[in-house]
Amino acid sequence: MGRQVAIVSAGFSEHASKRSDVNMGELVSEAIEDCLKKVPSLEINDIDAYVNGNMPAFEGSNIPELWMTDWMGARNKPLIRITTGGTTGGSVAIAGYYTVTAGLPGVETVLAIAFEQQSQGDTSVGLASVAYGEISILNSMGATYDHLTRLLSGGAAIGAAAYQATTYMNKTNITEEDLARVVVQNRHNAAKTWWAHLKMPDLTIEQVLDTPYIQYPLRYGMVCPASDGACAMLFTTEEKAKDLCDIPVYVNGVASVANESAILGYDGSGSAQIDPSMQLGAIRSSELAYSQAGISFPRKEIDYVEVYSPFPNQELMWVEKLGLFEEATAPEMYKTGVTAVNGELPVNCSGGVNSTNAIGASAMERPAEAALQIMGKASNQVPKTVHASIGSGWGGSLNLITLMVMADEPQRKWR
Amino acid sequence: MEKVGIVGYNQVKLYSDANYGRYEMIFEAVRGAIDNAGLKKKDITTVISCTNDYYDGRTISNCFTVEVGGGYLADESKVEMDGAHGVLYGLMRILSGNHKLAVVWGGSMASCFPYHTARLYETDPTWERPNAYVNDITAAGFQMRAYMEKYGVSAEDIAKIAVKNRKNASKNPLALEEAQNSNITVKDVLESDIYAAPVTELMVAQPCDGVAALLLAPEKHALKITDKPVWITGVGWNQDPYYLGDRDLSGSKSMELAGKMAFNAAGIKNPKDEIQVAELFEAYAHEELIFSEALGLAEKGKGADLSSEIDGKLPINPSGGAIGGNPPCATGLIRIIEAVKQLRGEAGKYQVKDVKKAVASGQIGMCAQNNILYVLEGGA
Repeated sequence: MGRQVAIVSAGFSEHASKRSDVNMGELVSEAIEDCLKKVPSLEINDIDAYVNGNMPAFEGSNIPELWMTDWMGARNKPLIRITTGGTTGGSVAIAGYYTVTAGLPGVETVLAIAFEQQSQGDTSVGLASVAYGEISILNSMGATYDHLTRLLSGGAAIGAAAYQATTYMNKTNITEEDLARVVVQNRHNAAKTWWAHLKMPDLTIEQVLDTPYIQYPLRYGMVCPASDGACAMLFTTEEKAKDLCDIPVYVNGVASVANESAILGYDGSGSAQIDPSMQLGAIRSSELAYSQAGISFPRKEIDYVEVYSPFPNQELMWVEKLGLFEEATAPEMYKTGVTAVNGELPVNCSGGVNSTNAIGASAMERPAEAALQIMGKASNQVPKTVHASIGSGWGGSLNLITLMVMADEPQRKWR
Repeated sequence: MEKVGIVGYNQVKLYSDANYGRYEMIFEAVRGAIDNAGLKKKDITTVISCTNDYYDGRTISNCFTVEVGGGYLADESKVEMDGAHGVLYGLMRILSGNHKLAVVWGGSMASCFPYHTARLYETDPTWERPNAYVNDITAAGFQMRAYMEKYGVSAEDIAKIAVKNRKNASKNPLALEEAQNSNITVKDVLESDIYAAPVTELMVAQPCDGVAALLLAPEKHALKITDKPVWITGVGWNQDPYYLGDRDLSGSKSMELAGKMAFNAAGIKNPKDEIQVAELFEAYAHEELIFSEALGLAEKGKGADLSSEIDGKLPINPSGGAIGGNPPCATGLIRIIEAVKQLRGEAGKYQVKDVKKAVASGQIGMCAQNNILYVLEGGA
């Protein structure tokens, strides 16, 4: 059976829309440096294995860690690459956990790295091919090229997310103001996080609602930026972690579950066979991860939450689907300050993906920040003591959810 | 390490231009593997896929393969490397105790994309890609030359490997038809088109269409599923530095270190005597020699003297190896499957006698920059 895994450290590079001062390798080494400097007794040579990933289409570089080997310090070290789209970072973190827990001889300390330098390429073109791939199928179904153009615009993340947002709004009767409130909370939090991208300490709901629509109900001011950035996390065994840091963060549950991909609809027009805001993947992920971690009442047992929400409606959805709030009650929690930094259940105190989105890295930054909150080392640290936290990721065609459950106590009940 | 059982496998026939779709192929492979083990879809707890966005021409290439790969509402992930690396992740997931049955599948359709152009995107984007002088083919040329020069090995010796593998492939019904040739001679290989001197066309593992799938289970569970489990008793993987000048191309340090790690885990002291068959992912004929030397199956520079035919002292690639068909992202997985067939006595015309332990390898990158090695053992 697997052994207990602990997170010792997490590090970030600085995030911005164009990090033209560095190349991809240098960006990654920035995050690694930040991660390792928090563990002074560990040197880069002490790392036994590497896990890494990004979304290769965005930079126009396939399997870039081949030429980035030396920037990671991975020369003649075991290394694997995990990529799952938007969830890449979460999947890489989960793979880091599995690499340690597997107990392979000589593999104890694992560095997980996720990165993206979107300014090197065109993200929307990269994303369009998610939906654009099946031209032959579409043609055989009688779709015209006019449809295909529409599909291209619907294929990028926002096209799909708008359908998700409207179905969710229809079910829960929330308003655009509720969406804007989420954005304001995130951007205020980002202002206190050193590595965040969109820092807006004075943003108001009116200002957000004053920006033009990209696609109803999502306005320009509500949508995540495209960032350059990297994140690194250090995983090791329970015994080693105790020597390396004061408060090791134990990984007690992980899951990454996909719902059916037909969610986009074959012509990308939202004529999906299933409701995109139903999110069976998120529900199943949380069931799996919570049961591994021995959590029966997530709302009571979890003290801090980082969810992957480039769009504000998703933040509301995830906190409900992951079992933290009752269905359709999330907007109220934002209104009453339950989710604020000093609230009962703080959400996304780093500013979330809504404020910083280096896509490949984003889903790792969630568990990384959630772990730092337990250690008490986060930039925008919550005042209360955090014992258990979660970090999620979202990707695929609206359908893949990664989840990592962490705590300051190891959980052995399920083993 | 604890041993993990391989309980089922399947590989589709390899074609240079398959007359059916990617998803059908994935479904056929995964469904076949589940049938092979006598299991049902509901038994799957985790699915690892191995594809590459550049090879599939689609960002997030795994996002539309969820259903066909058996991943619907199962814990799933993707390894964007060789299928053999996917098996590593599946193995880790089984060892964690979180999962009871892992499906690992990998593959692509090389007929749909210019393989060597896609490989060009793997090179350094600043210094090497713009003039494309250093790419996977020319790098193989450098490596073959470096190996020949250092040990005084002739091109004929390397061509013999291509001949052996193509003859072996003719006995393997699933191998690529274009690679199957029981009458091929060393002269044919040396006189085929030059790819990058001294590498010629017939020394290259030609990319093709294909998908393979493998099922993994923990020891106890594996014994319930099948009475012929094959055990993974050791695994090692390693990545070399990128720049060719930083490496000794006449050998493979990453394979050496991967081998050390795997043999250490499996408790193998003297691989040459303890292993009865090797299935190595040789993207070019000379790599088979370099790998067998790196693994200690032959002395440095003496790989060509090894009797590695099916009835030889230490058969290497009795299935025809990667030269018998190289579907990107599946080739390493197929090597593992071929080793499993040998251990279960299911290899048909290319069955090696009395196989107790086997090794299988996978790789990615120029001159096999990242290598992975498995030690497999048969018997319940």
